[in-house]
Parts: sequence; structure tokens; C-alpha cells
Amino acid sequence: MAKIVVEHLKYRYPLTDELALKDISFTIEPGEFIGIIGENNAGKSTLCQALVGIIPNFYKGAYGGKVFIDDLEVAKHSISEVCRKVGIVFQNPFNQVTGSKLTVYEEIAFGLENMGLSRTEMMERIDYSLKLLDIYQYKDRNPFDLSGGQMQRMAIASIIAMRPEVIILDEPTSQLDPQGSEEVFRAVQSLSQEGISILMVEHKMEKIAAYSDRVMLLKDGKMVAFDTPQKVFSLENLEQYGVNAPAFTRICKKLGIKNQKNGCYPVTLEEAEGAINLLKNGGIADE
Amino acid sequence: MKSISLYQDKNTVIHRIDPLSKILYILVAIIVPFLLASQIASAAFILVSIIILLMGKSLKRTVPMLGFSGLILITVVIIQGIFRPDNVTPALVLGSVVFYKEGLLFALGISLNVINILMSFSILVLTTKPSDMVETFVRMGLSPKLGYVLSSVFQIIPQMTETMATITDAQRSRGMETEGNLTTRVKAFFPLISPVVMNSLITTKERAIALEVRGFDSKQKKTFLTEVKKTRSEKVIKIVLAAVLILSLIGRVLIWLR
Amino acid sequence: MKKNSMWSLKLNTASLVLIPAAVGINYIGKLFAGALKLPLWLDSIGTILAACLAGPIVGALCGAINNIIYGFTLDPVSFIYALSQVGIGIVAGVLAYKGKMKGLVGSIITGLIIACVATVVSTPINIAMYGGQTGNIWGDALFTWCTANQFPTWLASGLDELVVDIPDKVAVTLIAFGIYKALPKKLTILYKNDQAIESLD
Repeated sequence: MAKIVVEHLKYRYPLTDELALKDISFTIEPGEFIGIIGENNAGKSTLCQALVGIIPNFYKGAYGGKVFIDDLEVAKHSISEVCRKVGIVFQNPFNQVTGSKLTVYEEIAFGLENMGLSRTEMMERIDYSLKLLDIYQYKDRNPFDLSGGQMQRMAIASIIAMRPEVIILDEPTSQLDPQGSEEVFRAVQSLSQEGISILMVEHKMEKIAAYSDRVMLLKDGKMVAFDTPQKVFSLENLEQYGVNAPAFTRICKKLGIKNQKNGCYPVTLEEAEGAINLLKNGGIADE
Repeated sequence: MKSISLYQDKNTVIHRIDPLSKILYILVAIIVPFLLASQIASAAFILVSIIILLMGKSLKRTVPMLGFSGLILITVVIIQGIFRPDNVTPALVLGSVVFYKEGLLFALGISLNVINILMSFSILVLTTKPSDMVETFVRMGLSPKLGYVLSSVFQIIPQMTETMATITDAQRSRGMETEGNLTTRVKAFFPLISPVVMNSLITTKERAIALEVRGFDSKQKKTFLTEVKKTRSEKVIKIVLAAVLILSLIGRVLIWLR
Repeated sequence: MKKNSMWSLKLNTASLVLIPAAVGINYIGKLFAGALKLPLWLDSIGTILAACLAGPIVGALCGAINNIIYGFTLDPVSFIYALSQVGIGIVAGVLAYKGKMKGLVGSIITGLIIACVATVVSTPINIAMYGGQTGNIWGDALFTWCTANQFPTWLASGLDELVVDIPDKVAVTLIAFGIYKALPKKLTILYKNDQAIESLD
């Protein structure tokens, strides 16, 4: 499992004047689930792409600082080398289909063929990732004949089959209908049980709160906070950063109910329930 | 999804032949009549192609393709038959129109040649799955990136035409004119074409990134999911084709020495 | 900017992905010229656009692949005409790179040059394949008149091609130029091969 170290990362897109990332530094431990939040144009997608080397190697522009995945310095290696360690899934499932393969099965093989894997290894990995993402029954379909949710799960399966140590999900459900989103979130949950490090950008704060070990809050290309979901969502000035806390947190804030163990507002239904029960019992824990 | 390729999935001997052998056949069918400067050779190859297409149950599918070039060929016969500058011997008189032997013979040569090319290509085109063909080329050493480009064209065109059809219907239902005089039609052209065109270009960025993160630019030697089966009969076919080519080369030299 | 970067064979992924899109655009243009019964072909908008965006090599590849695909889908004779599409791609790429395709006048002149090149490449093929005809009614009418008046075949055939190519290639170049202008600069810069990463350290 890989450790991610980012040191003083700065980046400016070509033809622009303002930095999109302004001196960001952090460390992510192997196996962590990180939620990335912030308003539009806060730099979330830019940061994600910098971890895979799309920034700076695809876009060019101006770059400073360092990103390490274990001891691999991202900017100094081609994307095709970095992608063996870090996989990324984007918003639009349609544009992630290679468009050169006729079946879902072959589509997933695309990355593996480029990696030069043997045929048996490929088939083993494809079967595994199709089953993990619960799309094995569609393996002989044309990729473009899938629904949005199925297509996005195929995109995740294509990345998983490459066995990266870190997977980045950049708003994987923003272009899906509610049913498609739910399918993808279920898939994300099964991924996190595999012990792989996950970074997810997402606007559905309930999901971020439920899955994340830590939450990173970005604003105008700067990192404002990077802490447990409870601490980040309990920030007094959260609205200023263009973020709405999960519904449970907002209700508890209004009612002044805090989780007495850590002094923060609850972020999930279970936690809120626990805190309320605690109040009802006059401050004595149930257990 | 609908396919633009003329290929039809059928289970015949011809469909199973290595695309490489079919390409070799095209070369032989075009080069040999040229080397021997022989219309009989062209006619013979047309016959062979027809037999092969019959075996591949695909002869009928050549009709639309013949229609395309056939129209030009008919005008060639008419124009050359009547107007060819070296026309002297009248061959056929239809009212006041005279067809000459020289022009008709010239047009016959042209027609045999075009039909021969059409038929030999048809074997490849009608009985080979495009993706198999591309893979054959890549295995032979074509850059896998160009291989990607070729196979993705086969997918992108039906997608774009589908989008076009949707947009055309939408515009028509809003009362847009696609009939009428030239200016009306030209004005109709732009609102139809621009959204599809713009969208197809703008998505190239995201698609390029999506390919890159799946190792598209990798220096590693590529492997293949599908297996190739090499049989002895494949070898025989290739040897026979090569032999025909060499024999005709020798024939050419002999004619030249005479 | 390096002097020979226009001819670099190292194509970036964005330019490669541009090729299928451009071939699709060619196809749509052709479809529409047919559907709207326009007296033009309009089947090289994508090739010229790709050449402007990513240079002559991509333009040439686009032209070649375009006709290979037509060969597989419409008419096998197209394989042979790939040569003229390659010519169109190269010329458009070079002219755009040299900055000749600026403004309306520049585009019209570029279109005229492309038409001449297309004619020079296509005419020998027309003669070898069809005795000089193109299959376009207007062009072939001129061809017939020339042949009846004892013009040499190469001239009759050349005029046949040119008379169709001039309006077609000028129209196509103007359309390609219009699309080029409408594309965001942030996108078009990705197809260029000469960008470098600036250091902020």
C-alpha cells in the first residue's frame, strides 16, 4: 500500500494568470479513505489530476513543489508509469470509454494490454474486477449500450483491474441519476473494504461523512482544513467555504447536540442517534 | 449499437481465414493483371473473387458497392464509346448516336479493372471483423496507437450519425427547413452540424486523459487479450498466393525479353 | 519554437484522439451534403480542421484513415483515393502552420491551393481508374465537352476535377476555419506539440 506525500504543490494552467493550486502540502497514510470537498473551482479536480501526473504532464502550464507516491515523484514520470500506482475515475462515464473496444470485457482489458500482462493474468484480473463491481453479467455487451451507472462501474473496474495502490474518484456520481449514483456508491464501499487507499471528491456530504477517515476542505486553490469529518463539518464558518454540512450535522448544530466524546457535532445518522440517546439518558452511555 | 462496417458475422471458411491472407490476395489480384497487361487475367480474378464471395455467403452484399462505382462506369462506357478521340470504327448505331469499337474496348478495360479491385477488396471487407483486422496489423508491427485510432473510428462514426439523426429530428419538429432553395438548405446546414462537431472536439480532451491513465502512452510492449490460431492451411494459402505473384513476375520478364 | 516541430512524428495523445473525431466530422459533412442535396462533397472538413489544429502529419493521417474507413464502409475504391486526402491534409497543415489561414481571405486562398493540390493528386488516379472521370455530374459534363473537342485526356480530366474541387475546397476550408475560431484556446493548445512545463520552484 502506498503513502502519498505532497509538498508545497503549486500549479497554474496554461493561458491563465492565477494559480489553481496554491502551496498545498499534506500526507496520506496507506489505506485511508479521504473525502475532498469545497465549492466549484476550489481546485479539487486539479489536485486529483496532479496526483496522477495529468498535471503537469498532460496540460503543461507552470508547476512547483513535489508529489510522491511512495518514492515515485509524479511530475518526473510519464502518466503511463504513474497510473500503475494511482488510478483515477472521472465524472463523465461516457468520455472514459476508450471507444475502440466492442465488449465490456475487452474494454477492461485495454489498460492491461498496455501494461503488457499475460493473457491468463488479464482474464483473472478482468473477472475479479467485473465481479467486484457487480457487472459480470454485462461482460459481452457493447460498452456504449450500458446505462450511466453501469458505465461508471465499468470505468472503475477498468482502473481496479490495473491494481493501483491508490484510487481517486473525481465526482464519480455527479452525472448519474439517483439509481446510478447508488450503484456507484455501493461499489465504492466494496472498494474501501479491499484495503485500497481512496480519495473521493463528492458533493453529497452524507456520503463523504459516512465513508471518510479524514476530510480535506479546499478553497481558492488552498487547503483550509484536513481533519476528521466531525471536526471539519463542525467548523463554524463552513458556509463561507461553499460547503453545506450533512443534514444530521446541521440539525444537531441547530439543536446544540454535540458528540460528548470528541466535542464535535455528529456527522452521520448513527452518530446523531447515539448523541441524542446519550442526552436522553442524562449523559450516561447506553452500552 | 448499429455498425457502419459492411462486415457481417457469418460462420464460413472464408470468414475464418487470416486477414493477412486476404490482403495478400488483393495485392495479387491487382498486381498480376497489371504485370501481364492482360484483361483475361482481370476477368479470371473477378471469377475467383466471385467464387470466394459465394463460399463466404457474401456475394449479395457487393451489390450496393457495385452500384456506387457502377454509375460512374456506365457514364465511362457512354462518354468513351461516343467521344474518345481515337474512335474510328463504328460498332453500334443507336439512332443518331454512334458507339465506336475503340472507345468501348477502352471502357471495357476500365470496367474490368474497377470491378476486379472492388471484388477483391470486398472479400476482405465483407468477411473480416474490423477489430480483428486492426489487431492483425498491430501484431505485424503497426503502432498500437494508430491501431487504436482505426478501431475507434469504427465506433465513433455510428455514434456521431446517431446524434445527428436525433438532432435532425429535433430541428425538423421545430419547423426547420431542410427542403427548398440552395440558400435555405445551406442555412439549415450550420445549426445542424455545429453542436455535434463542437461536442466531438471538446470531448477529445477528456478521452485523451482517460486513455493516458490507462497506460496508452506506455513504452511497455503491448500484449493481447485474444489468441491467434495458426493453422497449416493458412500457410498453404499464403504460399500459393506468393507463388502466383512470382510466376507472373517471371511471365512479365519473359514477355519483356521476347 | 523548434523549427521542424511541424513534422514531428511523436504525436501526443490529444492529437491522436483528434483523428477519429475529425474523420467523424468528414463523414457528417459528406452525409449532409448528400441529405441537403448540395452540389458539393464537403467530405474533408475534419481533415483540414485536424491539420490546422495539430499539423500536417495529423492532417495526412486523418486523410489516409478517412479513406481507409470509407473503403471499408462505402466503396473499396476509396482506398486508392486516400492519396488525395493525404495531400489535402499535408497542404492544409503546412499552410496553417505558416500562418496563411488567418481571416476570410487567407482561408479562401488556402482553399484554392488545397483544391489545386487535390486536383494534381486525384487526376492521375481518375485517369487510371475511370479513364479520367470523377463521377460528379457537372465535372463529367465538362469532361465530355473537352473530350468531344479533342482536348488531351489529362487536361479534360484535370478540369473535370478542378471545377468541382474549387468550390468544394473553398467552402470546406471556410467551414473548418469557422470551427477553429469557435474552439476554446484552452482546448486547441493541447494539440500542439511544442508546449513546455514552466517551473514555479
